[in-house]
Amino acid sequence: MSALITGRELRVLLATIVVVALILFPIYWMVVTAHLPTTIVLSRVPPLLPPLAEMSFDAFGRALLRRPFLVWMGNTMIVAVGSTLLSLVIATLAGYSLSRYRSRMQEYSGLALLVSKMLPGSLIVIPFFIMASRAGMIDSRFALILANTSVGVPFATWMMKSYFDAIPREIDAAATIDGCTRLQALWHVVLPIARPGLTAAAIYLFIVAWADFVFARTLINSPDLWTLTTGLASFVGEHGVDWPGLMAAGTLSMVPIFILFVLLEPYLVSGMAAGAVK
Amino acid sequence: MNNDRGFALMLLAPALICVIGLVGWPMAQIVTFSFVEGKGLNVLDTAGRSWGIGNYVSVLSDGETWESALTTLYYVVGSVGPAFLIGLGVALLLNQNFPLRRALRCLALLPWAAPGVLVSIIFLWLFDPSYGVVNYLLRITGISNEDIGWFTNEDTALYAVLIPSIWKSFPFFALTILGALQTIPEDLYEAADIDGANKLQAFVNVTWPGIRGPAILAIILNALWALREFDIIFATTGGGPFRVTETLGIRAYTEAFSYFELGRASTLGVLTIAFALLFVLIARRPLQKEFF
Repeated sequence: MSALITGRELRVLLATIVVVALILFPIYWMVVTAHLPTTIVLSRVPPLLPPLAEMSFDAFGRALLRRPFLVWMGNTMIVAVGSTLLSLVIATLAGYSLSRYRSRMQEYSGLALLVSKMLPGSLIVIPFFIMASRAGMIDSRFALILANTSVGVPFATWMMKSYFDAIPREIDAAATIDGCTRLQALWHVVLPIARPGLTAAAIYLFIVAWADFVFARTLINSPDLWTLTTGLASFVGEHGVDWPGLMAAGTLSMVPIFILFVLLEPYLVSGMAAGAVK
Repeated sequence: MNNDRGFALMLLAPALICVIGLVGWPMAQIVTFSFVEGKGLNVLDTAGRSWGIGNYVSVLSDGETWESALTTLYYVVGSVGPAFLIGLGVALLLNQNFPLRRALRCLALLPWAAPGVLVSIIFLWLFDPSYGVVNYLLRITGISNEDIGWFTNEDTALYAVLIPSIWKSFPFFALTILGALQTIPEDLYEAADIDGANKLQAFVNVTWPGIRGPAILAIILNALWALREFDIIFATTGGGPFRVTETLGIRAYTEAFSYFELGRASTLGVLTIAFALLFVLIARRPLQKEFF
């Protein structure tokens, strides 16, 4: 009978557990702080292992009631879902075009998408702000969705292109011979096969939009329209920060991302080298 | 075949509108504004514009610009270097065979998904001068008894900003390298073993050639991202104290939205983009090899 686990495997497992524990310590500390009363948290000798008897969900209650946390979460959700859907439609069509048709136009567009993926970010927000002010679109969720789309489309297009590249062209050809138009072939035949790629791109876009801070902070003034990131950042620099409350808010804001990341992670490991998220 | 081209273009059109309207046009605006002379919000005043290179003269002759450029360089090198090494180590570890590998791999890479602002507040709390766990650990291990204000002290702020940046960016390296490691055929290691190669020799001759392309690409991309990093620096220190963490990106933002010097801010933006382009130009060869 062979052992279930070799000595070497056990050593690697233990080493990995130590490394993962070190990596996750900041998240552990956030979650523990969120479950403790302020009297224990604001101490010169904070307990490294949480005293179970003292743990409670009080800070979560404060985060939800004293701050418009649910409003921020709702705003973030609207913007993230809106920009994910918009980017996904645009990027899927473009990715298919780049994958199936090769011409000068395709090459230049691919290059333009690549460059726009590398350069902008915190700089593009200045002209964005000016354009939005002129168009009277400060405090507009739509402007925020468009801003996030500008970041999402270049990424997702390349992600979808590499996914379509893996689907043989013969499949589209067979569908058109059977009487489908090319758009029908894409919709009824290719997209169902590409569903894992669509899911991965959607999750990726959602995580990026959920994290946006620079656009939300600049294009939104009214506190009613703040997103989670602007809301969380507003705690910083306050006198006497409610750390358990802030950590509870942070924990809650991380939950959806955590779930989505678990779904996305296998794709990232196999896809990054293949050129997906480059 | 003309019909085909029309269809291909039709599919591409929304993306092109998006890139031209939401990336190209704003970039053109930045360049335009950088040549509009005058103070404050004058650039928005379309009637009374006067054109010139005044902004460039004022920005380039300002010693603070060069200090920010140097800070940017420190920030890029100081975050990308360690993040790469940690990412490489984690990838090599996670590429081994062991039970629970899938779950542990997922947990190890989780920081990648954490929003920058959330990362900032977590580290502000960890590094809190009076109640932070970092100062507590330093106290009980006898390393330092002071209440170090990591983010507010001139001497430590840049390091304090680098740590969350590294924590958030190492998983990208680990992911990229892990993906590349999985494409290296097992028999290459067996051959190296038969040839009597030790672990280091196997790494240099088998592993590294297999991951070099993606690794270099990841370094370049991360350097570009670090160059324009905003969330973590802005949410932790805002560029302070005494501008020691003020990179060019933060400086451009402050000029625009704290001083409303849109001309100067645009000029800084153009210079940062030029900086990035120069960098891409230097790194052209490996980029071409990986992309095309």
